[in-house]
Amino acid sequence: MDEILKVANSMGAWLTAAPIVIITLVQVLLYYRQIYEAADAVNLKPEQLKQAFRTGMVTSIGPVIAIFIIMVGLMSVIGAPMAWMRLAVIGAAPTELTAATLGADAMGVKFGGEGYDITAMAVSWWTMAINGVGWLLLVGLFAHKLEVLRDKAGGGDIKWLGILSSAAMIGVFGYLNSRNMTEVSGPLIAAVTGAVSMVILLILVKNRPQFKEYTLGAAMLIGMFAAMFF
Amino acid sequence: MANEQINEQKYNEVWMKPVIRIGMITMLIACLLSFPPLIYLYVVHGVLPPFAQSMTAWVLVASVFGAFYIVEPISYYPILGLAGTYISFLSGNISNLRLPCSAMAQEVVGVQEGTKQAEIIGTMGIVGSVIVNLIGVTLAAFVGTWLLGLFPKFVADAFRQYTAPAIFGAVFGQFSMRQPKLAPFALAIPLGLLYIKAPIWLVILAAVFGTIAIARVFYKMKLIH
Repeated sequence: MDEILKVANSMGAWLTAAPIVIITLVQVLLYYRQIYEAADAVNLKPEQLKQAFRTGMVTSIGPVIAIFIIMVGLMSVIGAPMAWMRLAVIGAAPTELTAATLGADAMGVKFGGEGYDITAMAVSWWTMAINGVGWLLLVGLFAHKLEVLRDKAGGGDIKWLGILSSAAMIGVFGYLNSRNMTEVSGPLIAAVTGAVSMVILLILVKNRPQFKEYTLGAAMLIGMFAAMFF
Repeated sequence: MANEQINEQKYNEVWMKPVIRIGMITMLIACLLSFPPLIYLYVVHGVLPPFAQSMTAWVLVASVFGAFYIVEPISYYPILGLAGTYISFLSGNISNLRLPCSAMAQEVVGVQEGTKQAEIIGTMGIVGSVIVNLIGVTLAAFVGTWLLGLFPKFVADAFRQYTAPAIFGAVFGQFSMRQPKLAPFALAIPLGLLYIKAPIWLVILAAVFGTIAIARVFYKMKLIH
């Protein structure tokens, strides 16, 4: 395993992992520029764009700390360059670990165990890559067709389109929460406390809009600490 | 705010068309850039993943995640919009990062949901979250082990275990305030399906499109506005 990790952490691995990380940055920079060009056409002011950008950054601090911690764990298993590459793109840590393990399974060896040699690692890397490509390719080729679908579903009724977006959001998060609701445990405490504190915080900041961008981050921390003391 | 007084033609020229162009090109390049580490293993160490086992592994991984390649983009599209979909499915971490950041940006700027303004503001929130995400994973890669040693263990454990559930709860609370009548259904549908052990891809589809269907009925009955 130590031999394997030496290869996994080599300079060559860093250099070949870097390009896809860079393309994620290039993509958002291109969209950032495009947003400024399009703002005028939809009557948005530069201050509103800045506010949205800042809110995105502030809101992501908590979840990114979590990703950071999970990633350090993943690094000890698949090496730092692969962890860096895989967590900068689609597929969260559990997905990548599953893919890496299935690669080892296909080779008939235990992931990270006896017999997990450089060839098995190559199959693990292949499996993580080809799995990510599933999402990248389908979205790359067909995402713009979904716009047509949404236009049809919306039927030009702007009020209904707003409700449709809300309903989709409540549906997705209903599903995500349901998986933590099957037993009374830390995650359930975190979810319930997070939900209640978010509602309270949003009511509290109603007349103080300057604090609104911190509400989700704060609710997350409250939920997390409540679960810690459960 | 002069909401929907928008020049459609100009909107297509400065937004829709470039969004599709940037999205398609970057996604397809990213497909290719998924494989250079394997080229490195081959060129420097002379190791190729054996063909038969690689195909087996592909079948295995596609049988676990294949349905999500299709279900997730369709389910998240009404929330993320087109540019948001391209970014989110390249950068990942959709439920714990992109969706909450898009929603909060819209909430803070105060745009009306489902409008073109909302889509652009949401996209900007997602752009901000990708920047922070990239800083986070790059720090982790280079100084992560050292930096993690500075955290007390119970704090690190709390972040690892509870951030996702807490943020899921918080976003659910936020949207339940807007459409309280939909919230019970959004929980009941997936809970029922989980109880009968339905496959996860079906649970996601049913939760999203079931809730949309109920919203449609309520909207027609003028129970929600």
